Amino acid sequence: MQSSNAGQARRQRFDRIVAVFHPDMYRYAAWLCRDKVIAEEVVQESMLRAWKSLDALREDAAARSWLLTIVRRENARYFERNRLETVDIDNLTAAQSALLATQPDDDLGDMRAAIYALDDDYREPLVLQVLMGYSTNEIAEQMGIQQGAVLTRLHRARAKLREKMQTGKAE
Amino acid sequence: MSAGDTTMNCDEYRQLVGADPNFDGGAGHRNECAACQAYRDEMRALDARIRQALLLEVPEFVPPALQGVAIENVVSLPARRRVTTPAWFALAASVALAAFVGLRFAGNAELSANELASEVLAHVTHEPDALRVTDVAVTDQHLGEVVPATIARMDHSAGLITFAETCPINGNDIPHLVIQGSSGPVTILLLPQEKVSGVIELDDGHRHGLILPVGNGSVAIIGTKDEQLEQIQQQVLKSVQWST
Repeated sequence: MQSSNAGQARRQRFDRIVAVFHPDMYRYAAWLCRDKVIAEEVVQESMLRAWKSLDALREDAAARSWLLTIVRRENARYFERNRLETVDIDNLTAAQSALLATQPDDDLGDMRAAIYALDDDYREPLVLQVLMGYSTNEIAEQMGIQQGAVLTRLHRARAKLREKMQTGKAE
Repeated sequence: MSAGDTTMNCDEYRQLVGADPNFDGGAGHRNECAACQAYRDEMRALDARIRQALLLEVPEFVPPALQGVAIENVVSLPARRRVTTPAWFALAASVALAAFVGLRFAGNAELSANELASEVLAHVTHEPDALRVTDVAVTDQHLGEVVPATIARMDHSAGLITFAETCPINGNDIPHLVIQGSSGPVTILLLPQEKVSGVIELDDGHRHGLILPVGNGSVAIIGTKDEQLEQIQQQVLKSVQWST
């Protein structure tokens, strides 16, 4: 009985955590892999892995960064397994196009395409900072690089987006 | 840089604001430079648009099917379980602990002490699976594969190593081990190629540890914030003897 209660409590804890952070997990995965279908797969795999190792999460306060770390690793595993090649933005699959498609607002669509076209090294820290609210120190930890490198990448990412959006306006 | 810093030039200020439009420093420069003030406003406006663009529509949450998914070997530890003495891994022994702190790193791969410390700490967080609280040890065979005799001499008779994998640190494949400490999992990275000239202290706010000089290499030990590492540290220093 005790074991069953413990199992139930564990499941409830897991459900609560992943339900709250599912949007962050999905968006992070989607911007890492730039493909909606793969992102959903990565998130599902991440949830399974999180379930298996839930007891390693000592405090729920750390759940978000813990889950995002798992997503990052699962994304890398996915690409290692499938050995996918980098995709040219002019040659997208339907799922990739879907990531960019949608809104009637041209400016939003242009910005989305510009972010999509950024190199992984620039896009990821930008997502972590702007969307996830990570500090540059936390981004450095998550990505395993120096804080100075994070600052440089963020600065360059914004410079590229600024330039692209200005060029777009001029055209 | 302090908020009132007037020594900053335009390039420096824009680098910092470009990296973080919410950067609040450099007020001295900003107040005197209308162009940089405008640049900051532009960056903030750009960030609002970036954020909007990043907010992709999220598909409906589908809870994963967990029935039959093993959570094998994962148990909760009592709050303050102690590690029994030399149980976890034992080697023949031989290195004295350098008792000085924060000395320069003397490695052969151009990493400073800070860089090595950062890489070590970053690696710990990259392996969330490793930090499971569990009472199931890895097999002797697996441990032998991860720590081959060519790296270190090791006695497999002992204890509670619950994770062992080969991982890259500074371009070298090294053994990454985890033992169960009194407050949770403790990471041990054997770094035979990273020579340090003294103890390097590690602290990222969530966990703390040390990189200890051991022969011509070093060993990193990282535990949770409240983990007492002294006993583990002594065991490590008694235990590691590089083969290289």
